[in-house]
Amino acid sequence: MTSALLPEDPRARLAMALVLAFGFAAVERAQTVPMLLTTAALIAIAAGTPTRTLRKLRGPLVLAAAFLVVMPLVAGPTTLWRAGPLRLRAEGLEAGLLLAGRLLAIVTVTLALLSTLPPHRLAAALRGLGAPALVADLMLLTLRYATEFREEMLRARLARRLRGGRRGWRDVGGHAATLAAALIRGQRRAEAVWTAMRLRGHASTLVAPTSALRPRDVGGVACAVGLALAAVALDRLA
Amino acid sequence: MHLPDGLAPVGLAAAGYAGGAALLGLSLARIARLPDPGAAMPRAAMLTAVFFAASAIAVPAPPTTVHPMLAGLMGVMLGWFAVPAIFVGLFLQAVLFGHGGLTTLGLNGLILAPPALVAWATWRALGRRAPTLAAGVAGAGGVVLALAIFAGFVLIGLPAAVDAAAERAALGVFVLAHLPLVVGEGVLVAVVLRVLERVEPGLLPGA
Repeated sequence: MTSALLPEDPRARLAMALVLAFGFAAVERAQTVPMLLTTAALIAIAAGTPTRTLRKLRGPLVLAAAFLVVMPLVAGPTTLWRAGPLRLRAEGLEAGLLLAGRLLAIVTVTLALLSTLPPHRLAAALRGLGAPALVADLMLLTLRYATEFREEMLRARLARRLRGGRRGWRDVGGHAATLAAALIRGQRRAEAVWTAMRLRGHASTLVAPTSALRPRDVGGVACAVGLALAAVALDRLA
Repeated sequence: MHLPDGLAPVGLAAAGYAGGAALLGLSLARIARLPDPGAAMPRAAMLTAVFFAASAIAVPAPPTTVHPMLAGLMGVMLGWFAVPAIFVGLFLQAVLFGHGGLTTLGLNGLILAPPALVAWATWRALGRRAPTLAAGVAGAGGVVLALAIFAGFVLIGLPAAVDAAAERAALGVFVLAHLPLVVGEGVLVAVVLRVLERVEPGLLPGA
């Protein structure tokens, strides 16, 4: 998906995500968290995918809620409120807000900037930023085989059930046999695909983008550096 | 079992990237010495897809999530290729699903890749004499070692104000929650290798 406000080049997007993620991770005070969340929300809106990003945030939201519930009960000496054996502590509340805020802001930025990129452009971004050719190849093939492996697993699982195999996680041996069967079938197809790719002259250097970054891409990265520095400065100076 | 973004202090996350890059560099150098480094690529990509899919099945268990790790299986099946495979799988999970983390990518790689290499070493040492036992030990040992490294990182990463007793109790519960996984992954690796031996010996590690 394209965005009128964010860089098009996948290298710029990956660099932006890394700079913002590490900048946000450097924040140490809960008071800075609203700024992080606002920035992350604006980036998700600029990417044009706020609903999609929000849908993918379900897992991190549960984890963030757990930080918010657990940390105030286990961290710090200053009691804010007491109910029987439970003590709500000020330091824990701040730590919980900080951990939850950093988590949600970083994941939001990552998903908004990168999850909308097509897989081959993501591999190109890694290659363009200096990742080894083998890693870029492995990523492309993994994404290609992931769908095939899923289909092989569904087939193997159906065959197992038709033979009377048990459901549920207790039958680890049965699941392992299903996995092995899917691996064998998937591997044969994967070998054929890889051989064909090599015969056609596939080389991962073809994947790497060679064009220079455009002003809009450079501007995006500069903006990310500025936002990350502003977050850290606000955190340390306030 | 991944460290999420936001939990690790930025210094620890950066150290994780440095350590992860060193391990990745070492593994790529060892792979480059192979007669045909690309020959194992389909197997590595297929198992990365398995790892990617299995780890995406996540149940939140604060401060992290519980799901199959497959470090032992990756190590036994891929050897040095397990390291790039694990890093690629973790990167895809972080950027496509928000699972794990972008800042904690290095640390998460260090949680899973060394256990995979230890599982591979275990298989190489014992696999010919007692294949089922070696596979079981490699699978189960991979989980145990990953748990130990994970616990170490969590202890370093959590705020200093956290009550030490509560921290120990939480880690105890977390380790207990993963014990079935220790047994399960041991059985999984043993069964997968036995099926491969009978049906497709060419896929066995070292074949």
